Amino acid sequence: MKTTSQIYLIALSLLAGTFLLSVAVGAVFIPLNEMMAVFMRGVASTDAYSSILLKVRIPHTVLILITGAALGGSGAAYQGLFRNPLADPYLIGVASGASLGAVFAMSANWPNGLLGFYAIPVAAFIGSVGTVFLVYYLARVGKTVPATTMILAGVAVSSFATSLTSFLMLRSSGELHRAISWLMGGGTMGGWDPVLASLPYILLGLGVLLASGHTLNVLQFGDEQAHNLGLHVERTKLILILAASLATAAAVSFSGVIGFVGLIVPHMVRILWGADYRRMVPLSILGGASMLLAADALARTIMAPQVLPVGIITALAGAPFFLWLLRSVRNQAFG
Amino acid sequence: MLEIKSLSVGYNEHLILKDISLSVHPGEVVALIGPNGTGKSTLIRAISGVLPLQGGSIRLCGSEIGSLSSGNRARTLAVVPQIQSLPASFNVYQAILLGRTPYLGWLGQAGKRDHDTVCQAMLQTKTDHLTERCIGELSGGEQQRVLLARALAQTTPILIMDEPTNHLDVSHQSSFLNLTRKLAVQNGLAVLVALHDLNLTSLYADRVAVLFEGRLKAIGVPEQVFVEENLSPIYGGQLRVITHPEYGTPLVLPAGPDLEYAPQNRGYIVEASAQLREHIYV
Amino acid sequence: MKSKLLITTLLIIILLAACVPANTTTPESVELTEAPTAAPVVPENVSVTVTDQRGKEFQFEQPVQRIVSLAPSNTEILFAVGAGDQVVGRDTFSDFPAEAANVADIGGGFGALDTETILASTPDLVLAADLTPVEQIQALEDLGLSVFVLGNPTDLPGMYENLRTVAVITGHLEETETLIASLEERVTVVEEKLAGITERPLVLYELDGTDPNAPWVPGPGTFVDTLLTMAGGNSMSASLEGAWVQVSLETIIEMDPDLILLGDAQWGGVTPEMVAARGGWDALTSVQQDKVYPFDDNLVSRPGPRMVDGLEALARFLHPDLFE
Repeated sequence: MKTTSQIYLIALSLLAGTFLLSVAVGAVFIPLNEMMAVFMRGVASTDAYSSILLKVRIPHTVLILITGAALGGSGAAYQGLFRNPLADPYLIGVASGASLGAVFAMSANWPNGLLGFYAIPVAAFIGSVGTVFLVYYLARVGKTVPATTMILAGVAVSSFATSLTSFLMLRSSGELHRAISWLMGGGTMGGWDPVLASLPYILLGLGVLLASGHTLNVLQFGDEQAHNLGLHVERTKLILILAASLATAAAVSFSGVIGFVGLIVPHMVRILWGADYRRMVPLSILGGASMLLAADALARTIMAPQVLPVGIITALAGAPFFLWLLRSVRNQAFG
Repeated sequence: MLEIKSLSVGYNEHLILKDISLSVHPGEVVALIGPNGTGKSTLIRAISGVLPLQGGSIRLCGSEIGSLSSGNRARTLAVVPQIQSLPASFNVYQAILLGRTPYLGWLGQAGKRDHDTVCQAMLQTKTDHLTERCIGELSGGEQQRVLLARALAQTTPILIMDEPTNHLDVSHQSSFLNLTRKLAVQNGLAVLVALHDLNLTSLYADRVAVLFEGRLKAIGVPEQVFVEENLSPIYGGQLRVITHPEYGTPLVLPAGPDLEYAPQNRGYIVEASAQLREHIYV
Repeated sequence: MKSKLLITTLLIIILLAACVPANTTTPESVELTEAPTAAPVVPENVSVTVTDQRGKEFQFEQPVQRIVSLAPSNTEILFAVGAGDQVVGRDTFSDFPAEAANVADIGGGFGALDTETILASTPDLVLAADLTPVEQIQALEDLGLSVFVLGNPTDLPGMYENLRTVAVITGHLEETETLIASLEERVTVVEEKLAGITERPLVLYELDGTDPNAPWVPGPGTFVDTLLTMAGGNSMSASLEGAWVQVSLETIIEMDPDLILLGDAQWGGVTPEMVAARGGWDALTSVQQDKVYPFDDNLVSRPGPRMVDGLEALARFLHPDLFE
């Protein structure tokens, strides 16, 4: 078992590595010396190179980094809250709500007027947060919100939102491919704007989650034991859900629906380094960012010049992950 | 100390517990007994504040439970739950350290005092050799002792235990309850423990409260409470109460099988018991 | 109480969704070719055999009098050759010429055709296009209808052939030859004016800019691409493959096109202001110099006589000094 600092060193190195990889690859090949020139002096031999790096590639990479961080961190929090290794950040409707909002905005042609580019992400965000509130409210039993009822309410509301989204997509067949691309994980904004817009929410949400490692540990013993240890269980759960959902909603609103990161990363962290949430949350944040950076680099290069939606790459990673998981569980059962 | 007055718990018209009054004093071990499903766990959950009250009051060391903040409540009352659905991959030391939660901040940073308390709790419960293990690897008895250690780490004057001996074998049951008595007497704890086994109760409890159909049918020292007239209507069938040959406490004997289906040496036993009866009954 | 809230919320959401208008394109008025007025149909008593794009042979004893069109391009062609009166049904998206609005709408919106209306209009022929799904053609043929698939041309001569084919089927060959001659002349005018150009501006023709980091552009060999070249420009598609291709913003910055034409201006509502506001696009010279123009994509994407209008429009953008 490695020491804590060694583990963090590994995670940070992984993040740095994937970040550099993501900046290094793209449709235009930029030689290393040019990249160094841009990093050092802010200019390169051609305007094109510095424009590409500073206005396109680096902001995109940073957006992917914070998106992956948000998905990984909130995935860990959801798994801790619901005490279920299959929980992911979309369990209680964040993704389906965001999709509904985004497709609604697309079908109503909002970028034409209201809010300009921000129309779609804002609509997605509202849809996302609204759905979580609806699910939470529906799942309340008296003063408590049991995990199972939340999951059930989440499934019900998500199904409804998804079917409504499909209906809207059908009605505006001209927007169909835009909607599909968004649903598979593709943004509608470029440059630094989406980074700056989503960063506050992601930082706020992840900040709360990072400070909640101990609390999540206590919750692992169930609501009653947590209560007996002095926790305000319902208030704590609400805060955690809000924080995780806020970060996820911001990420999804600007980057589309990217699946599997929030599911796979916390799981891997748990298997590799144990289930202490004081470590799981920060490591999942780092791991989520790394995984998404790697997937994004792949998505941009594997079928160049076409840009695959990054959600396809993460989904493709999901299948072998679950197969491997199945094998290890089966081996354990017989071993 | 723990004072319960006229406690009623239930949903709307359907009351599960009716008008329960009971006190547990510091240094005392009070056993809560009753048939399965009679409401022992419900009472414990009501006392710990998990269930809302329909009526009556609960006072912890003089303060109404409703008036205590959750942190204060957790510093006054600790619960040793049954060993169900515990997170398997949780480290034992970390699990016991969680008992210090009411004393730690939101971030859960533990100081020297917290670690010392945990070590002491582990020594007292003889779980110190399990430090590096995971909960899922432990036997039922070890898990129960870990939960007790966690409750002890909470350093509360009141301790409540929900059937802690269910998963222990006979010798461990005794040593567990012996430890409980030791802690109660030495540390002045007020202990309420729900138990299944009547004989353990009479050996280790100062007083016993009998819960039946949501009401307290009897409360007092085992010698007074464990008489056939009290127990038979509650536990059904024919029970026999005799005196323990060594300790003089009541021993509750279960009824035997019908004569037609009795095991082969039955005749010998029937004879022997008559002799026994002459021998031990005063 | 809670279920009332739920039902109310659901109803509100459903109502909101229903209020969203279905996407329809509105025609922008750019210089148009007037559809020739429908001359009286002169039946030609000669039996003709015509082969459609699938290789299927059709024998017509006399010009077809009742046609249903399944694509906007077919509708434009029908009206252009003078067969407007012979069109008894057209798909939802057929919005040109204005007279097409008077013809019965037979669906095609969700990808589904209103077969009942098609049958009710008792057509002699259904004119499908390359983009008509095979299943729809099969379904119509199963109902006993004759379906003629008019293929997609990739250059102007191919488009003229389509005009002739439709003219033969509907009995307007003579006036169509006149139309083709005038179209060819307009093309010649453009080509002559461009004869001496020394520069070919690099054009980014944006088909879809939903993902501003990787917009879709027409690939090499597509009609749009051909027209761009004919109009005296260079398209960005030289190094690309496929009909519709994504090109990364990085590549665009590197190639720095001289001007940007927004083919998604009409159907997507994209404006030059929006393009200028896109993150990273301000690095482009064309954006800095305000050389971003909305363009009626229908002029270059519908394979019909208006493609010559498209050619002229492109030429005006690319070489404004040569064309007023």
